[in-house]
Amino acid sequence: MSEAVAEVQEEEIDLAGANAILDKYLDMHGALMPVLQAIQEHYGFVPEPCVHLVAERLNVYTSQIYGVLTFYAQFHLEPRGKYIVRVCMGTACHVKGAGRIAETIKERIGVGHAETTEDLKFTAEYVACIGACGMAPVIMVNEDTFGSLTVQKVDEVIAKYQKMD
Amino acid sequence: MVNLTIDGKQITVSKSATIYEAAREAGIDIPVLCYAKKLLPYGACRVCLVEVEQMKGRLIPSCTTPVTEGMIVRTMSDEIRKVRKTVLEFLLVNHVVDCPVCDKGGECDLQDLTYEYEVVTNRFAGEKFDLEKDEVNPLIERNMNRCVLCGKCVRVCDEIVAYGSYSFINRGFETKIATAFDRGLDCEFCGQCVSMCPVGALLPRPFKFKARPWQLKEVDSVCGYCGNGCTVTLGVLNNKVETIRFNDKIGVNDGNLCVRGRFGSSYVNSGERLTKPLVKRDGQLVEADWDEALAVISAGLKKAQDGKGVGVISGARLTNEELFLVKNLASVIGTANLDHSGGECYKGVTEGLKQTLGVTASTGTFPQVEEADVILSIRSDFYETHPVFGMTVNQAVKRREAQLFIVGDKNGKFDKLPGAKTLLHKPGLEVNVLNALCQELIASGKAVTDGVNGLDALTQALAAYTPEKVAALTGVSAELIRAAAAALAGAKRSAILLAYGLPYTAQSREIAIAAANLALLSGNVGKEGSGLYLCGEKANSQGAIDLGVLPGPGGMGAQQMLTAAGKGELSALYIVGEDIVSSYPDRDKALKALAGADFVVVHDLFMTPTAALADVVLPAASFAEKDGTFTNAERRIQKVRAGISSPGEAKTDGAILAQVIACLGSSVSYTGPAALFAAVAESAGYTGIAYDQIGPQGVVWGGESLTVKHKNLIAVAGAEPVAGDYVLLTGSALHHSGTVSTRATGPNAVVSEGYVEFGSEDAKALKLREGDQVALKANGVELKLKAKIGKRLPKGVLFAPYHFSSAQINTLYKGEAAVAVQVVR
Repeated sequence: MSEAVAEVQEEEIDLAGANAILDKYLDMHGALMPVLQAIQEHYGFVPEPCVHLVAERLNVYTSQIYGVLTFYAQFHLEPRGKYIVRVCMGTACHVKGAGRIAETIKERIGVGHAETTEDLKFTAEYVACIGACGMAPVIMVNEDTFGSLTVQKVDEVIAKYQKMD
Repeated sequence: MVNLTIDGKQITVSKSATIYEAAREAGIDIPVLCYAKKLLPYGACRVCLVEVEQMKGRLIPSCTTPVTEGMIVRTMSDEIRKVRKTVLEFLLVNHVVDCPVCDKGGECDLQDLTYEYEVVTNRFAGEKFDLEKDEVNPLIERNMNRCVLCGKCVRVCDEIVAYGSYSFINRGFETKIATAFDRGLDCEFCGQCVSMCPVGALLPRPFKFKARPWQLKEVDSVCGYCGNGCTVTLGVLNNKVETIRFNDKIGVNDGNLCVRGRFGSSYVNSGERLTKPLVKRDGQLVEADWDEALAVISAGLKKAQDGKGVGVISGARLTNEELFLVKNLASVIGTANLDHSGGECYKGVTEGLKQTLGVTASTGTFPQVEEADVILSIRSDFYETHPVFGMTVNQAVKRREAQLFIVGDKNGKFDKLPGAKTLLHKPGLEVNVLNALCQELIASGKAVTDGVNGLDALTQALAAYTPEKVAALTGVSAELIRAAAAALAGAKRSAILLAYGLPYTAQSREIAIAAANLALLSGNVGKEGSGLYLCGEKANSQGAIDLGVLPGPGGMGAQQMLTAAGKGELSALYIVGEDIVSSYPDRDKALKALAGADFVVVHDLFMTPTAALADVVLPAASFAEKDGTFTNAERRIQKVRAGISSPGEAKTDGAILAQVIACLGSSVSYTGPAALFAAVAESAGYTGIAYDQIGPQGVVWGGESLTVKHKNLIAVAGAEPVAGDYVLLTGSALHHSGTVSTRATGPNAVVSEGYVEFGSEDAKALKLREGDQVALKANGVELKLKAKIGKRLPKGVLFAPYHFSSAQINTLYKGEAAVAVQVVR
């Protein structure tokens, strides 16, 4: 990665947040994970210029940080939607028609697994069991859970969020 | 020591050994993929599994398991064979097995093991990856479909190179080795990863489809670039050096090489090599035969002898034997005007050391640096002058936790090593900082003063160099100066490193003296395992100093010769293997000298800007075409061996010199290399070293620790900062060495032209982007260069490498520490 490219991107994003986070963790041993988590919390994802900044300030190779970011499912390198729609694909939901639920959601919001709508409103994620088999088929939108879904119910849920900001 | 039994054999090994190392020491072979001698144990591949009587019930990875007393190990059984075979089956599940077109074929560990363990079928089926090849850069091809995830590339790039290009990314089946953001490789291109790869996942692109390994003739020689003296094994096919082979068995470098050493030898095969002598006729250089060229030289030199005399200037990439003949030539001509490598930097350094310590060479050897607990590197770009020595320092810091301090004008790569502290000073103020370190040692009572002369005078002179005063002038914090001085004084073994070369001429005598003062006062001198390291820029810089390719009594040095020739006060210049127009400070002076001298002879490989102005140009041989010896920066004399013959009628400088000497009515005749080396050894003070004694590890003259002749402290004055909004530094860039590397396709593929580097702060203020054209103005000269933007330069400091003739940096740089310039967009 040439430094020049990083330079260009740095201008497009305000690094003040990342710098403030780094200030706090600078002297901590093994600070990489909490720093990356805090950055994701702050920006909603881990922007590339932040990765270069973290590499420089914590003196960790950029490649190594990228290794950590791709190892853990919790980190996202692309901007994510305001509403994360998690569609459970666990065994119980699968039997109860999770496939159709996922299809419907894709039709309504226009994106499938690990994709984000252009307006950054929705991100869809097909996940393994979310631990609510009794409510199968089930989805989560951010922290809210919607169970015993039908195609019609899913429409209602999505419509509700589409109307929200 | 620990006693154990391996395959019924009683073995005693060091208690830090692993089972694998113990077995290897005993001559017992255990297969490995992820193990490498120079890397830390990793245990990724599981093919080195063995049985240990005391650890029954599971197989033990021999490469990570330390030996214990009484251990009973079996390295082969039905069970082991079965498990190893299974491991290979696993590895082959997603491997592409495209051996017929893989350059690794014939020396691939996976291929060899698959064959040895007869893995003809695979019980497992899985997805083959179809990952895109990384062919973005011209030197290293990455084909991750062949990767076995041994992690050697990741580890070598971290543990030894300290660059960190690679990491494992993703997880589970999707795990692969990638760069940050999985982009094309964009690094230093040292190719260390290529040399470590056990399969064909990482390959040298310039060597693709050139030869199968068994077709190559391997010739061990010494790299012709810098003073580190790395072993390079030439891979020769049909009288062409096709590649540089990995060799960690001999020499000083453990198989480590930099981009120049690994990818920089292609200039020897260049179609632009000179193949016939050229003689100037009617203002044009035209081809001539050797007899004719020699006749012209003999007449020209004789005329000059009767006129205003001859000056002889040599490069420092000649072998010791050739340098000896250069000296011989000067004496046959009867001139004391003899010098090498620009004449200024090495001269200041050696004079300074002679006065203080009485020796003009490193006092320790490289392996001692690896054991040092405190290292002080003077000049931040040390890494760029001697990259593989840089790797030695990396290992001392990363593995043995040596404390590293850098006295530098920029933040180099060393600065990123764990715990490293840069005493970042304004350009040209090295002496001030070193003086402050000495002052602090004396003032704090930590100075070692037994047997030193001149302490009182130095103490007095250093009163003006208290950490606070120097901090105010140089920008280095007083606290850091105190910390570095305390660390050096408290070190069990310390190493003080000083690089020198053509682009570092300013204050070189003062820097050497200040460094020697520091070495004395910190107790570095004479302490077991400690040393002051003097690292010459060129492959045989040390040899040139040892042999005294220097002005004789009343003779002129290189700079004086050029001045004299420019004024018409010197009739002839005889230049061997130097492109003085391109590489010496002050291009104008060199040009005037060449125009002013009536007769100029040049030996070179190429039609350089200097050769183009000569009256006779003689085609010389490259390092790959000659036998002889080089002396590296740690005083190690090593054998250079010819791998190919020279193109056309080109001859070694030695052969040419012998002929010229004969033409002048004298003669040099030695019965063979041993006899010639004996003469060299006598002249250079390599007492008691015979040619036949120089084995694969070479011979270090003066012993592992060179005893100094005296301990004189000498006061030297620092400098004042260069005034100006922007000051330009010149120096060496990582990918190049001298000017010849600019003729090699490898280094050129990475950095092909001159540039001026800006720190990010300056770039932002000037609204500069990478690649923008800028003009640098100073002293009525305007240079147009491409901008490069980096993070290592402090505000107001610019850097331009001196290697590229066309960039003409030496029209601005005339030997000063830094040049105040104006930057015009």
